[in-house]
Parts: sequence; C-alpha cells; structure tokens
Amino acid sequence: MEALLNTGSTIDEGRLAKGGNKYSEDYKLECAVCWMCAEDYASLGCPDKVAVTSRDGRYTIAVYSKVTESVRSGHVFIPRSIWANVVVEPDTFSTGSPRYKGSPVMVEPTNEEVLSAEEIVLKLYMGGE
Amino acid sequence: MVFKNIICPVCGGSCDDIQVELKDGKIDVQNACKMGNAKFQEVVSHHRILKPTIRENGKVKDVSWDEALEMAADILVNSKRPLFFLGSETSCEAQEVGLHMAEYLGGLADSNATICHGPTVMGIQESGMVGATAGQAKNRADMIVYWGVNALESMPRHMSKYGVFPRGYWTKRGRFDRTMVTVDPRVTPTAVASDLHLQLNPNSDYELLSALFTILNGREPHPSVEEITGIPISVMKQTVEMMKESNYVSIYVGLGVSSSYGKHRNIEIALNFVKEMNNYTKCNIGALRGHCNVAGFNQIASYLYGYPFGLDFGKGYPRYNPGEYTTVDVLREKDVDAAFVMSADLVNHIPADSAKYLAEIPMICLDIAPCPSTTAADVVLPGVIDAMECDGTFYRLDNVPVYFEPFTDSPFPETKSNEDTLKQLFAKIKAKKEA
Ligand code: SF4
Repeated sequence: MEALLNTGSTIDEGRLAKGGNKYSEDYKLECAVCWMCAEDYASLGCPDKVAVTSRDGRYTIAVYSKVTESVRSGHVFIPRSIWANVVVEPDTFSTGSPRYKGSPVMVEPTNEEVLSAEEIVLKLYMGGE
Repeated sequence: MVFKNIICPVCGGSCDDIQVELKDGKIDVQNACKMGNAKFQEVVSHHRILKPTIRENGKVKDVSWDEALEMAADILVNSKRPLFFLGSETSCEAQEVGLHMAEYLGGLADSNATICHGPTVMGIQESGMVGATAGQAKNRADMIVYWGVNALESMPRHMSKYGVFPRGYWTKRGRFDRTMVTVDPRVTPTAVASDLHLQLNPNSDYELLSALFTILNGREPHPSVEEITGIPISVMKQTVEMMKESNYVSIYVGLGVSSSYGKHRNIEIALNFVKEMNNYTKCNIGALRGHCNVAGFNQIASYLYGYPFGLDFGKGYPRYNPGEYTTVDVLREKDVDAAFVMSADLVNHIPADSAKYLAEIPMICLDIAPCPSTTAADVVLPGVIDAMECDGTFYRLDNVPVYFEPFTDSPFPETKSNEDTLKQLFAKIKAKKEA
C-alpha cells in the first residue's frame, strides 16, 4: 500500500527519550509502531507487523502495526524516532530540513523482526560492527 | 532542601516554576510534565554516562578525560571540514564556544533548528514576523490556533502555562475566554481538546493558507481547494470570520507547517496572512519550539556571525545557504569528514543516508545518556546537565532569554559544565594547531 508518512512526538516518546531510555523495550514498543486506520489495516490483511519502505526503495524498516481513528486512509504515522527516520525522505528542498511530514512510503505486511534502536545503529548504520 | 523556581531544560517552554528536592539518592520533582520529570530523574539515573570512552579497533573502552579530549582534538584538527552540531539541550554559552571552534577550524556549525524550525526561520527572513512574547499572548489572546503542532505532546505545558487555560489580564476566565482551533492532518490529543479541528490533507498547508488569505481579501477561493485540502470552503470562511471577530489571535506553528511539502514557503504565506489579519484585529504568530534551547542557537549565531543556522566557515568568514551547508545535506552529500555532536541525538533524528555517513566518519559525541549517537561515536564525552548541575542561558520559544541556576553540582571533578568541557577542548585544539 502506498501511503504518506507523518512523524511526530507522542508524550511517551518524549518521556522515554528525555529520560535517556532510548535503548529500552518500552521505547521500542512506543516508537517502532506504524499507526493506520482500520480500513488500511484490513486491506493489508490485519498484520501484526509491517515493513515500511522509503520511496526510492533503498531503506525498509519493520515496525509493529497499530489501528487508530486519528489518521485517514492512505496516511500513516510513526512516532519520531530512529525507526521513522530510516524511511524519511532525506531531500531538504534547499532548507536543511528533511520531510518529517508527508514522505511517500510503501507499507506491506511482514514477518521480519522489529529491531531495537541500538540494533538499527549497529546493523543498518555501522555495517554490523 | 527544596529548590524552587528551577528552569526545566527539556523543551522550548523553559518552564520556570519547577520545584526539586534531592534526598537519599532520589529526586522529587513538582510542576514538571512527564517529559520534564523524566529528564530531572537523569541526575540520579543509573544509565548516566559517567566516564569518557573511545572506540579503538571497533571496541569501546573507558579512558581518562584527558585522553578523550586529546583524541577529540586530534580528530578535529586533522579534519579538512568538520561539522559542529551544537545541540539545543545545553546553554548558549556552550554553543558560543562551539561556534568559535567551528570558525577557528574553518568548519561548519549547525544546531537542531536545521532539522526543526529551520524553514520557519527562513520564512521569517523572507517576510518578517508579527511576533509577541508568550506572556503577551497569554494576557491578550482570545483565540489560539495550533497549526501543524500537537502542543499537548510536544510542549505539554504550553496550553496550561501560556496558551489556553491560564487566566490572563484580558482573558480572566482562562479557557472560557478563549477559542481554540487546531489544524492538523491527525486527530491528535490537541485537536481533540480544540473547539474546531481542521483535519487537512498532508502537504496541503500552502493551499489552505492561500485559500484563507483569499477569503480574508474578500474573494472566493477556487473550488478545487476543497479536494486538495480536504476542508470545505464554508469551514474556511467560518475560521476567517472567527479570527476577524476575535480581539487577539495567537497562532503557533509547528513542524507540520515547516516540515511538510512547501517548507519555508508555507511559513512565508502564514506570516503574510498574519500581517494582513492585523488590518482587522490583532494577530501574532510564533513557532512552538520543541527543543530546549534551539532558539538560543539561532539568536547567538545571528548576533555573532549574522546567520541563524547552517553556517559554513570554510572560506574563513561565515556563509549561509540552507540546503548546501546544513547538516542533513552535508552528511547526505558526504561533504564533511568529521563531526562534533553536542547535546543532541543526531543519529536518531536524521534520515538514513545522512545517519549512515555520520556513523562512518570520525565522530565525537557529548551527551548524558546512551543513545544511537553515542553508540556510533568514536569519542564520547560525558555531558553536564544544564539548569540542574550548572548555570547558563537558554532562549525560550518566544526568544526571551532565561538565565538558569543549578540546584546541584557537576558530577565530574574534571569539568563544571559543557561550556567548560568545550573550552578545554578548544585549548587543546589551539595548542595542536599552533604547534
Ligand atoms: S513543558 Fe517543556 S519546559 Fe515545561 S516542564 Fe514540560 S518539558 Fe519542561
């Protein structure tokens, strides 16, 4: 499914990040989550986890899925965090700021493991160091 | 002992009424929100970074402060084009030393604004801003608009301290004297608490603002704007009428405006709309700045070097060109060869291409708790917590400077503050350069 990705704060994302708990299970359960409406969730086959892929197809991240009434069909939300930023458009339109809001992404069901923030850094960014 | 009127160093709200009691290795915090409280707990937390570390042959090891500073200085002196990311969770005084280091080494200096309200600042440069302090808005505004910002979750006390609930001089009944409107593609908790929620389609802020502008000028917007924005023209007209009938409208914009498609142009048209609205009633606009002292960097970089963020000292004098000298872009284009990241978890907050390159190049990170940036760093320097363990200055969301005093000391005999750590590093850099 094609969707527009919105990212932003949630209060518990803020509480865990500011409290220095980015490597906790709670942080992963709060932030590695893709919110979508019931209609989109059903059309994907009600998966527990989804793979979100950047528009250019170069980056994919597995996150848990969550049904919400707060977004419309075709729009998904991931709390601002390393999971969301893996697939955020890096182009800044000559402003310096990437598209944290409204990046086009692909969302598909997946069985891949949801990585922790530390695993993303080690595996994805540091090449398995 | 109970300490009163402590400043919270977490978001741009810079709440100045925090009460703290340190007792038996525990900290009791009153008045702070969930986010603020969590950071105050860092003073006594078990995961606090207490020792400098370096990465050698892929292995991380503890070293002395002197060794860590030596290695950091070596990395920066040997770099052709270092990036100084001077994060917002520290004082202007520390950021100032960082800026001077960037100038001295001919590097780049940037801060959280670049991945936050950078486009807002650019919009202000385009068209100027009808601004006000948070206190003005609190005392006068009877209509509050949160556009592209979920205040309840990004600056949790904004609504209760400045925006919606407090009793102001002209708004004596607090919430009852104010109308609250939220413009957001999501039904956020802030939207739920509003009197009117415009649930616009993502990336249609510019179109919605243009239509409101057209209505304000007494014209009819093109009917296609309904489909583009998802908002009926009748609701747009109602919103403009509500604004015109108010005594004072205060608009707070968030990343929903500055980060969506259109970026600084969204802000520019919002600012022009506000100017026009002042022909009918009083109206001001301001950014809800989520990061603590992000406004401070813009202020001091502007008065020291003339530009608010994304400065390049490569030619020996400051240059500014967002998109070319800004953090995400220089990392994506592999245009720097070392980085100093202070009081900001940059690896966590930038897109994959930029984060990956940042993890590849030599990086020094100054922070208080383990996070993706410290994991990827080659040198980690423990941070001192501003407003808790040392004094200094922050700028609040409305660009009001706030001097803060600590209630305890730096846990490190080697440094009093991040400013102190940076000064020690700068001294080593100068000694190496001049040798
Ligand atoms: S609103 Fe911001 S400044 Fe105020 S207590 Fe919460 S985090 Fe701290």
